[in-house]
Amino acid sequence: MSDLDKSIAQLKACRPIPEKDVRELCYKARELLIEEGNVVSVDAPVTICGDIHGQFHDLMELFRVGGPCPDTAYLFMGDFVDRGFYSLESFLLLLCLKVRYPDRITLIRGNHESRQITTVYGFYDECMRKYGSANVWRYCCEVFDYLALGALVMGAATDLQPTDTSTADGNSQATMPSDSDDIEIEILNSAGQVLSRFSRARQNNSQDQSQAPNPSSSPSQQTPQRNGAPGTGASASSRGSSGNPGGAVLCVHGGLSPLIDTLDKIRLLDRKQEVPHEGAMCDLLWSDPDEIDGWGLSPRGAGFLFGADIVKCFNHKNDLSLICRAHQLVMEGFKEMFDSSIVTVWSAPNYCYRCGNVAAILELGEDGSNAGYAPRANGDMNRSNGILAERQELRMGPGRRYRVFEAAPQDSRGMPAKKPVADYFL
Amino acid sequence: MSSIPNLNTLRTGRRGPRLRGGRGGRAIAENDDTSAEHLEAGRDKIIQQTDSDASSSRLSAVALGYLVDPYARCFLQQTEQIPKRYPIINRGTYVRTTAIDTLVLRFLATNSEQKKQIVSLGAGSDTRFFRLAGQKPEKHRHLVYHELDFEQNVAQKRTFLRQSPQLEQAIRTAEKADMYYYLHALDLRDLTNKSPPPIPNLDPELPTLLLSECCLCYLPPETATSVLQYFTMNLKAALGLVLYEPIRPFDAFGKTMVSNLASRGIHLQTLKRYSSLEAQRQRFRLAGLDSGQGARDVQQLYQDETWVAREERERIERLEWLDEVEEWHLLASHYCVAWGWRGAVFGEAWHGLVGGRTREEDRGDGMG
Repeated sequence: MSDLDKSIAQLKACRPIPEKDVRELCYKARELLIEEGNVVSVDAPVTICGDIHGQFHDLMELFRVGGPCPDTAYLFMGDFVDRGFYSLESFLLLLCLKVRYPDRITLIRGNHESRQITTVYGFYDECMRKYGSANVWRYCCEVFDYLALGALVMGAATDLQPTDTSTADGNSQATMPSDSDDIEIEILNSAGQVLSRFSRARQNNSQDQSQAPNPSSSPSQQTPQRNGAPGTGASASSRGSSGNPGGAVLCVHGGLSPLIDTLDKIRLLDRKQEVPHEGAMCDLLWSDPDEIDGWGLSPRGAGFLFGADIVKCFNHKNDLSLICRAHQLVMEGFKEMFDSSIVTVWSAPNYCYRCGNVAAILELGEDGSNAGYAPRANGDMNRSNGILAERQELRMGPGRRYRVFEAAPQDSRGMPAKKPVADYFL
Repeated sequence: MSSIPNLNTLRTGRRGPRLRGGRGGRAIAENDDTSAEHLEAGRDKIIQQTDSDASSSRLSAVALGYLVDPYARCFLQQTEQIPKRYPIINRGTYVRTTAIDTLVLRFLATNSEQKKQIVSLGAGSDTRFFRLAGQKPEKHRHLVYHELDFEQNVAQKRTFLRQSPQLEQAIRTAEKADMYYYLHALDLRDLTNKSPPPIPNLDPELPTLLLSECCLCYLPPETATSVLQYFTMNLKAALGLVLYEPIRPFDAFGKTMVSNLASRGIHLQTLKRYSSLEAQRQRFRLAGLDSGQGARDVQQLYQDETWVAREERERIERLEWLDEVEEWHLLASHYCVAWGWRGAVFGEAWHGLVGGRTREEDRGDGMG
């Protein structure tokens, strides 16, 4: 067993590894990360995860639900640390997996992967408590500076292969599309049972706008029939003929920036630094989508709010079918917005042991229909002028399988006698 | 304005504890009695300790500049470090303190020459009296301020009072301005007895403001009602009540809150009965505080310029980088300040503080 495998085993038992091992691990991780671009290319299939926040036992539950690494390829969109009680074990385990299986796990930076934020929200204190010095915190922060800012998932299938399992609720079977339909969205529980399934609706020109339960803000003339579930944007708005390869999926922790209109501009940033208080790099890690037009001020005091028009324009200009981001707590674990042009994925169940939310991970399948050929979809060809024409065709979104899970049960956590105490007003 | 007391509630309240305690029962009941008392004492201790939680939150908010309170540190043990709480807790502590201050100061400023009374239930290490006395005592003349709490909490507070020249000085200055401070060691549940213990210097003829910051919610609902009844019946003049309590126990966050606190031995016993803003308003009406009622959750208070001026909000938002926006909304919508009164002085004092039903409540937007 290699030292790395030993470390992985130890961390999986939620036990910290010695300081010298952390130093070595961080050194190796930096060597690896320095080779990555600001936007890492990742091939589907891949399982995309949102915030973890030191909830180690829930991270173990995530791997149980999503499949072990390296069998399943993972992409974590940052915020590994802070808030939870096991930031150290969670981040170091992910980092070990990164060094051990560099092609099977991708880590990008969240706004909590920063010196300033970790001193406020717990990771610094945790390192001091567990090692008696700030050395480990410092090693980890140096790694943070090398994490990529985004990832581009290529070659994701537009339709899902239906999961061949029972449904969680036998009665709902009738309302689900039959297996022969093209499945756009599938939602599974932590036992792998199908909660709901939505097929990709065909183009439909005769739909009466007033019947659309959730009127589309798409600039298109047509109002697509929305047969999605509440909470999903199962939109069918990403019309396009079957077999038309989907665009790429951009993964980023927060969202867009008014200073960034193309992926190439992200590629040109100098990322190897502490997260600045403002500017493009800051925005990518701090911004949030919101029901507004254009750009707005963020209540977080960093980054911006951006509306549907911004997302659709950016996706079109960069040949993206979807932006996948984390950063915001969503009670249902995931939330699609703006005709499924952007989705929030949140992977910390019962966040801070207090919020009562469920978590989700998003699986994108591999597009087998064209023998693994994935067109470069980052704006190098057919670059458009970025203006959404009246009859603009948006890229067909990838098939999306969400696995929803709850917090790891208390007894399986092997929690220390002292239970986590969530703050309230007393 | 007089009110018709609900005699039936009063009776249940009086009998309640005795029936549960089984005092004067058969010999066999005596044993149960002791173990039940043991259990009850344990629960009481946990509730008493909630005060240290509140006071460390206050210290954290003061240290970071959310609140100005030179007396907060007086209630810190010499050896203790100033605790550091998360930004959302600091912000919540700020909103809670500021909103209750607004209600208190408006009351004191109305007919300012008139003598008034404040009764703070379960006051713990609260510093409000000292802040009133220390800032501009001449503004709050003719005030009688009572604090009621468990004997243990009162004894601790007395120790701090003896040790701190700053607090002693504040009390002396206050007395020159005709402001009097009384600390009563009293189990609120005893007020529901047939012959409740006297509260020395409580003047039934003065306009009185009752404060309950996370206090009545720890009592069984009938007992909480009876404690209120004690004051609505014994005090003859205008009476106002300000509550700060959790609400909305039925959604995902609320359920988690209830179970998390229960695992610490803290039972929010009135929460299900007063689960919404409207339930709180209705509670005031039933208690005879029928001249007016208002209730707002902490999130609404923070967004409303009547309570937190825009410049103040901007100042607060500059103090700390708050990354927990969604969590703040969740937490802040699960606590409320509610107020209700009988008598003209409160109508005048609290005029313009809007706390009626909102459109969201009418729509029942899951906001209870």
